[in-house]
Amino acid sequence: MTETEQLQAFEARIARGEKIEPGDWMPDAYRQQLIRMISQHAHSEIIGMLPEGAWLQRAPTLRRKLVLLAKVQDEGGHGQYLYHAAETLGVTRAEMIDALLAGRAKYSSVFNYPTLTWADIGMIGWLVDGAAIQNQTMLAHCSYGPYARAMVRICAEETFHKKQGMEQIIRYTRGTPRQKQMAQDALNRWWWPSLMMFGPHDATSPNSAQLIRWGIKTKTNDELRQDFVNKMVSDFHAVGLTIPDPDLYYDASSGNWISGEINWDEFWRVVKGDGPCNAERLQARREAQENGAWVREALAAYAAARGEG
Amino acid sequence: MNDSQWARYEVFEQERASAPHRNAGSVHASDAEMALGNARDVFVRRPNCFSLWVVPEAAVFAKTAQEVARDDWYTAPAADAPRETYLVFNKKGQPARETFVEYVGEVKAAAPAHALRVALETFPTQDVFVWWVAPERRVLKSEQADAASMFAPARTKKYRMHTFYPVEPIMRELKSAQGMLDNSEKMTDND
Repeated sequence: MTETEQLQAFEARIARGEKIEPGDWMPDAYRQQLIRMISQHAHSEIIGMLPEGAWLQRAPTLRRKLVLLAKVQDEGGHGQYLYHAAETLGVTRAEMIDALLAGRAKYSSVFNYPTLTWADIGMIGWLVDGAAIQNQTMLAHCSYGPYARAMVRICAEETFHKKQGMEQIIRYTRGTPRQKQMAQDALNRWWWPSLMMFGPHDATSPNSAQLIRWGIKTKTNDELRQDFVNKMVSDFHAVGLTIPDPDLYYDASSGNWISGEINWDEFWRVVKGDGPCNAERLQARREAQENGAWVREALAAYAAARGEG
Repeated sequence: MNDSQWARYEVFEQERASAPHRNAGSVHASDAEMALGNARDVFVRRPNCFSLWVVPEAAVFAKTAQEVARDDWYTAPAADAPRETYLVFNKKGQPARETFVEYVGEVKAAAPAHALRVALETFPTQDVFVWWVAPERRVLKSEQADAASMFAPARTKKYRMHTFYPVEPIMRELKSAQGMLDNSEKMTDND
């Protein structure tokens, strides 16, 4: 088959709803787009452990601590599922980790914001995991089999993350005035970073059209963001919290809540490395890598002594 | 930087005694025993798991239906080459689930490609998109004696399940009390 025929057959398979599997023919651009997306997604899960991990020692009750520990463990597991999916495309784990530690790889900018109070932990679950679920529910239908399967597994677990956050915030909104204020303050700080999680507007998103054509994504950044805003505005109003957007209005003709403009200068500044916690996050990962070196050496020596590895 | 990532092991999980082992993904480990431990930590944080298998990725002979059709992968083994047991896995149809190929049975063969050839003659091939074969001697299986320590703890940690947090009825109640259900919620002003 010529390259053109192969491409036609490939696109016909996607149109039929068949998953593309490791070993199947795929255009190089499809492979490269997936490696970019999946490795960034994996890094986001790993870096995402840090803002919440910061509160493990300060959880207010044992129950909250168990729940947070389970959630942070899940994020680590999600990173593992995703690195696996990326590896099936020919990139190695070491290459991906090196790129992250060297500061060459991107990850979701939302994790470059600090967690200042305990209410942030609930708000991250509801808002940030809620945004992640919006995106990942779509990606569970992705045309590349390993990515789609990782997403099915992750979405089921993220639903726990979101609901434990909702439970905390609902409780705070029914608590003392100070607790209610903490919940509002957390929403004020996390609302915009969570809207930024969906990425640039469609008009300035260079990859969107091809990603949709090849069934990697089925919705655009702006469509996903709109679905998210509609759901969240309704939910937060119900618990008596105010969305920190003076320009927000309901558009009866489209049935959408229309938000004000995202601060794109801030978005690009944080993406490019100059957010509140970018340096701190990478430093934490580098230290984890360096401090774990002796464990890896010991395990390698053990495996060598047993004639494996 | 040294390559600290070790070899990959493919992981197969079995949800209950009557279900087949299904590929869940892979882990990196310095040996098979560690791979089994990592597989448990990565893939069994929740109910239910009955048994886990790990096999070095390098020991898996994998072909998609597209690759099988190319027919460039098979050379016949010598007639007197020793046979051993290979486990056979495939992906049938396009199930929207979190696992990949599942165990369908075993064959005796002299080499990986031979095992796949025998598998194609032994098992139904219709609607199969991916085949994997692996020599059973390279597979490390969890022992039933270890189930209590490996798999039972996940079953008691109900707080890991979203069903532990009954927030949806609360949200419905709140919206209903405020007249926000259905279209009426759209009349609510932000301030």
